[in-house]
Amino acid sequence: MTEMLLDTSLPSATLTEPESVQTSSPATTKLATRGLNFHYRQAHALKDITLDIPTQQVTAIIGPSGCGKSTLLRVFNRIYAVYPGQVATGEVLLDGENVLDPAYPLQRLRARVGMVFQKPVPFPMTIFENVAWGIRHHEKLSKADMAVRVEQALRRAALWDEVKDKLGHSALGLSGGQQQRLCIARGVALHPEVLLLDEPTSALDPIATGRIEQLVDELKQDYTIVIVTHNMQQAARISDRTAFMYLGELIEYGATEQIFTQPDKRQTEDYISGRFG
Amino acid sequence: MILTLHTRRRMVNVVALALSGAATAIGLLFLGWILWVTLKNGISALNLQLFTRISAYGAEGGLANAIVGSVFMDLLALLLCVPIGVLAGVFLGEYANRSKLGSTIRFLNDILLSAPSIVLGLFVYVIVVVPSSQLTGGAVSFSGVAGAIALALIGLPVIVRTTDEMLQLVPNTLREAALSLGVPQWKLTLQVLMRVAASGIVTGVLLALARLAGETAPLLFTAFGNNFMTLNPLDATASIPVTIYQYTNDPNPAMHAIAWAGALLITLLVLALSLLARSYLKRNRITYD
Amino acid sequence: MNTETHEHIVKSYDTELARLTGEIVSMGDFAGMQLTRAMQALATRDGIAAQRVIDNDDTLDAKERQISADVLRLLALRQPFAGDLREVLAALRIAADIERIGDYAASVAKRSIVLNESAPVPLATGLPALATLAGDMLHDVLHAYETRDARAAALVWERDDKLDARYTGLFRELLTYMIEDPHSISACTHLLFIAKHLERIGDHATNIAENIWFAAYGSTLTAKEIQRMRGVSHPTARP
Repeated sequence: MTEMLLDTSLPSATLTEPESVQTSSPATTKLATRGLNFHYRQAHALKDITLDIPTQQVTAIIGPSGCGKSTLLRVFNRIYAVYPGQVATGEVLLDGENVLDPAYPLQRLRARVGMVFQKPVPFPMTIFENVAWGIRHHEKLSKADMAVRVEQALRRAALWDEVKDKLGHSALGLSGGQQQRLCIARGVALHPEVLLLDEPTSALDPIATGRIEQLVDELKQDYTIVIVTHNMQQAARISDRTAFMYLGELIEYGATEQIFTQPDKRQTEDYISGRFG
Repeated sequence: MILTLHTRRRMVNVVALALSGAATAIGLLFLGWILWVTLKNGISALNLQLFTRISAYGAEGGLANAIVGSVFMDLLALLLCVPIGVLAGVFLGEYANRSKLGSTIRFLNDILLSAPSIVLGLFVYVIVVVPSSQLTGGAVSFSGVAGAIALALIGLPVIVRTTDEMLQLVPNTLREAALSLGVPQWKLTLQVLMRVAASGIVTGVLLALARLAGETAPLLFTAFGNNFMTLNPLDATASIPVTIYQYTNDPNPAMHAIAWAGALLITLLVLALSLLARSYLKRNRITYD
Repeated sequence: MNTETHEHIVKSYDTELARLTGEIVSMGDFAGMQLTRAMQALATRDGIAAQRVIDNDDTLDAKERQISADVLRLLALRQPFAGDLREVLAALRIAADIERIGDYAASVAKRSIVLNESAPVPLATGLPALATLAGDMLHDVLHAYETRDARAAALVWERDDKLDARYTGLFRELLTYMIEDPHSISACTHLLFIAKHLERIGDHATNIAENIWFAAYGSTLTAKEIQRMRGVSHPTARP
């Protein structure tokens, strides 16, 4: 990591590391990167990223546009591999196994690491099928079991009560916020271990955003959640740990409380307090 | 007089509006004229006998054999070009989208799309009609199959193009969403993308049908024409456009009237297909913004 | 605190933070003036001047309410983070400390009025000195706040020990008077309380110093921190 000179004539805050940082440090690491680099065409989008994401916590990744935060998220489930010319080097460890290893089965990885995108993208199917479709590929379930599984997922995503009477209707008729919760249901239906959220509320109104944030808070009991967000208040509200990225580098990573009250790095402070964009 | 900026802009706007309006009017004028002439001449010749009688000299003749031949060959052509076209479109849109191979194929497809139809007719004549005649000692030469192949070559690039474009319109996030569930590409293509693109592809097929239903040139050297009703694909087969062509070359005004009626039929068919395609797309389109 | 501060992208945010600082400094100056006037009233046995000091306390309370309202608005509308957040929080606490200082100044004035009713007693020699010491601490800590100089604030913080020592000395002095002349017990008790008020003013000045330090570094100001500060004479690098 880079060293930053501070133009202060006084002792630095590192000498008085608040206790909260230590107490909230991860018990177990679910997902980790080791010297992760990412290139596409000439661009070096991620520079030597090393970080540990704790299990069953919400980790937020913040930073200005183009800082590489979405790219980092897209490496975790190797969804970047859809596009030719994008190369990730280094290690991404899921429970200690390197998922960047070409031998690591891609479909298994994606079943273990679910993803929800910025814009809700329901499949052109019924609400029921939207949830069942992904499960069907990984498990053979009886009709009754599938119905239970779909209901569980929709309940988990706090959508069941709103759609239970119209499971056979097209998912495209739902509101934006409902569609996004359907996408979350679709993801959790596979019982993943990690849930990646790429700016999941940026296309939603404040009420729908609140619902998703509440949902994230509930989901962290069962899942390890990584969320990319442009909204710093959102990161402060819902995450346990926050990573600040800038120009492809991980500048600072720590307990959310520490990042938003007492960041170590000047760049972090300037970004979160609205001093550069 | 010194014009203010605002006045000048308004004048420029008025002139531009007038010019483009005039251009539109000229285009519409000719379209209306064509429709009017076709309608006027066609309607007077339109009667039930056209649909019940086959070709005969003079006013006794009908278009029954030509209508059946046209429908037969058009459907056969669709049968040939839709599966190939859709599969090729999927290959372009999903598997070779950003590759060199993909853009090369796209380029070649565009050339086929704009190739003169008579060239396609001659091509099929050389590779189908002539060899089949040689192989069978002249028993099979001009045939409905050959005509359908030529028409398929007209429809094929249209379908490839629309399938490709419809798949391009599907947002990448939908693909990513499906793939991030650990589902393989083929399932994604078949069960999600085709569903989204289906309305567009059906529209493309209808437009391709409209296009090949009106073609004359590729049929001249392939299906040739037949004064009798036939459903044997190895026989020479009549078609409305070729019949119109032949009848207008005849000095007999009664034949001209039948040709006009055929022209009206074809025009109405194309019009109906276009309207059908539009309304179908409007009703079934799945959009993600 | 970082001496070089980048401006906010939204300029009006900077304006509001600057206004908050201005309000606090002006409130602090007013409290300092109250203290000076109360001590003058005490020395000159001027009941009218003392009453004016007591009346003026409302002005100080009003200033504090204004600062609370500004802090509330900043928190609600700007959602400050990091250094900004600590600064806003510190401002709220500093305002409360100044308000308490004002209360003590008013108390000094009140007791001076009571003292006027009894026969004049020679002021303990240490009392005006104690007042000067407390007043200077307040003045210097306000200057440290205005200039965002945490180092200067820490120096003020250290002076509290001196003030406490003076207070203890004064306490003994007054006790001696009371033993010598039981008639002066009533008056000396008031003087004792005044001395206690002055000592408390010093405590609030150190609270302000602690808040300046907190705004700058987010940590608690301790003697150890000051030792460390002295040890490091050059700008340090944070890892």
